[in-house]
Amino acid sequence: MLSTLSTFFIAPFHYGFMQHGLLSALLLSLSGGLLGCVLVLRRLALMGDALSHSLLPGIGIAWLLFGLSTTALFAGALVAGLLTALGSALLSRLTRVKEDSAFGSLFLIFFGAGVALLSRLPTRLNLAHFLFGSILGVSNADLRLAAASSALTLLVFLGFYRSILLETFDPVFHRAIGGHGGIVHLGILALTVLNLVAALQTMGIVLGLGLFLLPAVTAYLWCDRFERMLSLSVALAMAGSVAGILLSYHAGVASGASIVLCLGAFFLLSAIFSPNHGAAGKVAAWIRDHRHAADTR
Amino acid sequence: MHSPETILRLRDVTVRYGRNPALEGITVGIPCGSLTAILGPNGAGKSTLLKAILGWMPLVRGDIRIGDAHPQHALPRLAYLPQRHAIDWDFPITVRAVVEQGRYPSLSPWRRLGGADRERVDRAIAELDLGTVSDRQICRLSGGQQQRVFLARALAQGADIFLLDEPFAGLDLIATEELTHIFRSWEKQGRTVLAAVHDLHLARAVFPRGVLLARELVAEGEIGAVLSEEHINRAFRTGHLLL
Repeated sequence: MLSTLSTFFIAPFHYGFMQHGLLSALLLSLSGGLLGCVLVLRRLALMGDALSHSLLPGIGIAWLLFGLSTTALFAGALVAGLLTALGSALLSRLTRVKEDSAFGSLFLIFFGAGVALLSRLPTRLNLAHFLFGSILGVSNADLRLAAASSALTLLVFLGFYRSILLETFDPVFHRAIGGHGGIVHLGILALTVLNLVAALQTMGIVLGLGLFLLPAVTAYLWCDRFERMLSLSVALAMAGSVAGILLSYHAGVASGASIVLCLGAFFLLSAIFSPNHGAAGKVAAWIRDHRHAADTR
Repeated sequence: MHSPETILRLRDVTVRYGRNPALEGITVGIPCGSLTAILGPNGAGKSTLLKAILGWMPLVRGDIRIGDAHPQHALPRLAYLPQRHAIDWDFPITVRAVVEQGRYPSLSPWRRLGGADRERVDRAIAELDLGTVSDRQICRLSGGQQQRVFLARALAQGADIFLLDEPFAGLDLIATEELTHIFRSWEKQGRTVLAAVHDLHLARAVFPRGVLLARELVAEGEIGAVLSEEHINRAFRTGHLLL
């Protein structure tokens, strides 16, 4: 029994690439879990998703010009992300198109350009690797980037906790007491892009945001305090990463997909069974009320 | 108007949104410790006036002076209460945590709340009768309690002037009476309240003073005189013409 458990849970991590993959996913769980909470509470979930897709051409061009340099990939992704954000802001101000449509259209164009670019490149790495991640590819440089972006995100959250809370909860009050909402907002977006790039190897560009949003929205279903939501979100992201990497190893599926599936299972179960904010409780209360109404009639 | 008891002085205040005038030459003084309703039709500039006082709107002309000759009023603090619909009531936060935010401006970002801060928070929570619900998430409160959470945050801030944007909007009858009662007791304690109110009946019942706007000043002073038929006709007819 013990040896079966050990074969399942411990043995996979004897491989160096598995250790790298796990460490990278755990580091990104910390930053992703934190950032995801802000994205969920500020209702930026879909925008974050669109933003992650739009990074692809930036990464493609950087890869074409500089190879697998982490700095170049980050710079390329950042430029692509900023162009999408600025472009949609301009489109919505200068034309009749509203911001959501502008953002949606631009991210599709960018994503299309990225796919076209990467599918034309003569490369060892295939397109699927960029889109969905591969745990086999986590290098030492990738680990360093994951550690740096995770540490930076944690420091920003510790140092500017109150500003982040106020800007997320009540930006008008934040402004009234002299806060710099725009800087906080931009900082969160920049950290999101940084961590998406850092998650490129393990999670891929399309699924990277799953490590941010799914644990956060799951924690949102359980917590009535901001600091608890942050901690639970990080813990869930880490648990999902470990489970997902094991699943990826044993079932032979892409690591990004298996991590997202494990986190998705947490979310769906919570959406149904969370006692205060889940669907089951609401449905039970509804049935109870109707029975009661029928009885008293 | 320029008596030492005037805590807020607006002189010839003019604000524009792009080319559109929002406020035109408003000159008015707000006495210290008064309850004043800012009145007028939609688009009359009620919210704009509050934002101008907070320093969020660039003035095309005129100036706004806060404070009076009384030494304790040299630098009065402003507290702004957002409209109810601006708040995400599902946000994972408790009553106490919202009231604690009132202490943030007095703390450096890395300092924890000290004993004196916690005492002010406790006092604000007690004064607004939120003691029994202080650990609740803000969605699990009545409408009146929700409004009082944000008044408590303003109290914890140690504010002298309270700027409220439609505090009665969306409140039921009981909550409206609770809030009226709070404003009356604040008036006795000498706190200055300036509130944008669209309901003229309510304004007449609650506020002793009024400022009636239609982008320009129509009338100010005692509420009965401000809300005379002639003034209302002028404000609301000009309002419609302008809109």
